[in-house]
Formats: sequence, structure tokens, C-alpha cells
Amino acid sequence: MIDLDVSLPLARFPLRVTAKLAGDAVAVLGPSGAGKTSLLEAIAGLRPHASGRIAVGDAVLMDTATGISLPPERRRVGYVPQDACLFPHLDVRGNVRFGMAANARAGIFDEAVAILQIAPLLSRFPVTLSGGERQRVALARAIATEPRLLLLDEPLAAVDPELKGKILPYLLRVREALRIPFLYVTHNAGEARAVAQEAVVLREGTVLFSGPPDDALRSMSLVDPEARFDNVLAGSLAAGRSAGETGSLSVGSTRFAVPVEEHELREGRAVFSVAPDDVLVSTRPLEGISARNVHPGTVISREISGATAWIRVAAGGIEWTARLTRGAADELALLPGATVWIAVKTHAFRRLS
Amino acid sequence: MSDDLSILLLTLRVAAIATLLILPLGIFAAWHLARRRSPGRTLIETLLSLPLVLPPTAVGLLLLEALRKSGPIGRLLDQAGVEILFTWKAVVLATAVMSFPLLVRPVRTAFEEIDPRLIAMGRSLGSGPVAVFRRVALPLAWRGILAGTLLAFSRALGEFGATIMIAGSIPGRTQTMALAIFQRTHIGQDEGAMRLVGVTVVIAFAAVWTTEILTRRRAQRTSA
Repeated sequence: MIDLDVSLPLARFPLRVTAKLAGDAVAVLGPSGAGKTSLLEAIAGLRPHASGRIAVGDAVLMDTATGISLPPERRRVGYVPQDACLFPHLDVRGNVRFGMAANARAGIFDEAVAILQIAPLLSRFPVTLSGGERQRVALARAIATEPRLLLLDEPLAAVDPELKGKILPYLLRVREALRIPFLYVTHNAGEARAVAQEAVVLREGTVLFSGPPDDALRSMSLVDPEARFDNVLAGSLAAGRSAGETGSLSVGSTRFAVPVEEHELREGRAVFSVAPDDVLVSTRPLEGISARNVHPGTVISREISGATAWIRVAAGGIEWTARLTRGAADELALLPGATVWIAVKTHAFRRLS
Repeated sequence: MSDDLSILLLTLRVAAIATLLILPLGIFAAWHLARRRSPGRTLIETLLSLPLVLPPTAVGLLLLEALRKSGPIGRLLDQAGVEILFTWKAVVLATAVMSFPLLVRPVRTAFEEIDPRLIAMGRSLGSGPVAVFRRVALPLAWRGILAGTLLAFSRALGEFGATIMIAGSIPGRTQTMALAIFQRTHIGQDEGAMRLVGVTVVIAFAAVWTTEILTRRRAQRTSA
């Protein structure tokens, strides 16, 4: 339970966020400059001019009405900023150990290192790490402090496209292994659906939407030109019997044909993403098509944003987001309730973990 | 020659004590000047820099006025039975005051160059203001602190004007290298003066050389 009622003057507009978040996993969405990073910093106690109330579970971090405002070092909030912000004078080991209390739970360091898979990096200095590696170290550093709340700021795709989505699989691992509540800033509504039970969409410092991530789509497509709506599928992977054969990803009772690289033959839990541009929608049964994943389904919703139509389809036990031209959506009369078939090529599945 | 040695030892001892005395104070002042944006900041900065631009003899005279037995500080010291003027302690005081701004400037610059978000990160990771200063700011400003310390130490070795005002030039007691070089030249002992000049050149060379080597190693480790 995260209770936010935060006010903070910013350069262009005041940040004014009021939200009661019941979920332990919350996605914070919205266009660049909407105040997402400022919100995280206010929660972490790094914005002295913030006022209002911030509570995480039973812990009140700030309540200016009663004169409470814990200093950042007493908030026990694990903040992972966009640029990781690692200490340049410490190696990876020193960075991860930095916030560990003297009476830290035994094994928390090893656990953080294992979950983020940074053991080979421990003796390296931050300047020698790639962007994705820095993010993982910063996340390990945050969880090693045994925080009551994690705050993750997604690196902007514009800064480093290679980073896009790289941290997501690790976040899923952290969520599974440690069950720390978190706020995750992202531009990817698809990712939000994959990791979060709840979403908040910000625009110019205020809450435009708050609720289930599935329903955040509409406000996102309206306000965020950088928004992405990747379809994220997490399931168990059975690799082909030999290299070169496709793998089979089971999500619920549906199986999807997915590509498996030779070095990734290991089986078990896997996360894939499919771009909405790669989801084909047909109003007739598809036969004689090369795509290996064809499933019947029903249109749930249609959002028009300029020349783009965002179609949500329930098919194969999953809610898909497909991006079509507005013309195509009109011609096919893809309205809620319509029966459709979706087709996704094997190689449209991009492995995240 | 034994004179030369005792002059050298006195000079090194006085400069070292003066530098060690101002080091914590200088780092503290530099940290606050680099961090706080208070209105009095410029005034404090200007006051701290005054010894750089005032004639050293003027600073010496001000110290002399403050420390004489009828002066504001001198009276207290006299009651406590502490004698400073024209002792080696006066040399330490004069060199400390004159070296202070040279220590503060590079240290302040080094602190200012630290990304404030690293300091904020340290706080968020559970370290209080003092711990963050020790664990983040100090190690990151290491080079600036070393540079400032050596600069202050070098300035202390050569202090003349303020020293002669409050400590005089008493051989064996307050006569440092700079004072001895002046006195020997004055009484025609040019050879003896040159010997001392040679020693100062060696010391200065060693100090600067050490700084260069230490800072370069550090730079390789953190930016390779």
C-alpha cells in the first residue's frame, strides 16, 4: 500500500500527485517531462521543497501536516535513477555494499549479485561498464539495502536504445525473489502490463489516470508520443530438440512458437516481447500463412490516435495490442466485439530473458 | 652546515604543523562554500581569500595587533599563560594564515566538481550527511585535497612577510629558510644563501613531482 499526496513546485508546472496505490507493483507512465522523475525523487526524500504525505505500508516517510519528513537516509527507499548514478571511485562490489547496514541480513549481498547476474563484474569500475550493466549494478545496490520500496527510473530509449527493456527481466526476477514493492517509470505500456498490477499516468505533474495497467493504454496513447505498447509474454520455454528448431513458449494453456538461439537452449521461465507492429489482424480465418502463431480472438477496444489505430484483441488467453493504420481498422470494421484472427511470426518474438 | 640543517628542520616542522592545522578547517570551509548557496557566502569567501591579495606584512601587522598583550586575543592568551609572539608558534600561525586560502581554493573546486546527485544517492542509500561526506565527497575530491595540501605546504615553506612581523628572524628559534636567505644575503653571505636556495629548489621539486605522480595514478584507476 503506497499512499501519495505530494506537492512540489517544478520549473514549468507544479507537481501535484494524489494516489492510493493498493498494488505492490506500480507502473508510472507518461510523456517525458511529466514529472515522473521528480515524483520518485520526492518519495526518496531528495526534493527538500516537496510537501504533503508519503506513506509506504505502515511507514510514514513524510507528512508535512504533522511536521514529519524523514531524511533520505532514514526512508529506506531503494532508488535506481535513469543514469544509474554509480559511485565512480568504487568498484562494483563497493557500490553494491555501499548501502548495506552493519546488521544486514546475511547473504543479501550474494542474493543481490545472483539475481542481477553481476558476479563477473564485481571487480570492475563503473566507467568500464555498459549502460545495461550499470543499471543492473544500481538495482543490485538498491536491493542490497533491503528497502521497503524500490523506485526505478527507466533509461530513456533516446539516450541509449540498447538499454530498452534490458532491465525488465531483472525487475521480474527481483519481484519474484524478494517481493519488494516498487514504482517503475516506463514509456512502455506493454512492460507496465507485464510487471505491474497498477498504473499511474502523469501529465504535466498531475495524475491523468490511475488504475489497472490494461486501461492505461488510452491515456498513454493520447499523451505520450514516445509510448510503446509492446506485448510482453512471460511463460515457460521448452526448447526444440536440436539447435535451429523453434522453441515452444507456454503461457497459460496456449503455446507459442518462438525463436531459440543456440546459446539460449536452457529451458524454464522466459520473457518475450512482440512489437504491436508485428501483430497482424484478420477478420477471416487464416490459412496457408507462413506465420506460426495464429489464434482466433475478439476485439476488446479500439483507440484512434492520429493516423494510428490501436486495437486490443483477446486471443490465445492473452490481451494483444496491435498497431494498424486507421484506414485498415476502418476498412475491416475492427470494433469491440468483432471476431478476428491474429497472426504473429516466430521471429517477431524478441527474447528479453 | 649544521646551521643549514637546523634551519631546514625548523622550516619543515613549522610548515608541516601549519598545514596539518589548517587541513581539517580548510576542508570543512571548502565543503560548505561548495555546497551552501547562502547569502553570506560571497562575504566569507572574500574574507578567506584576503591573505592572498593583501601584502603579507599587512596581515602580519593585523596579527601582531590582535596578539599583543593589550590586544583582544593576546589578553586571553596572556591570562592562560600562552606566549606566541616571537616564538616558533608565531611562525606556525603566520604561515597557517597565509597558506589557508591556497588550501581552500583547489579543495573547493574539487568538491564543486562532484555531481551533487552522487551525494544525494549516498544519502538515499542510508548514509547521513557526515558519512556521505566521508564515503563519497572526500574520496572523490582526493586529488584536489592533495593539490591544495601541497600548495599550502609549499606556500608555508616560503612564508616571509607575515612571519617576520610576528615572529621576527631569530636564528635557531624563528628563522626559517626564507628569512635566513634574506638575512644571509643582507650580510653578504651569498654562498650560504645560495646553499639554502638549492635546498628549497629540491624540496619544491620533490613536492610537485610527488603530486603529479600520485594524481596521475589516481586518474588512471578511475577513468580507464
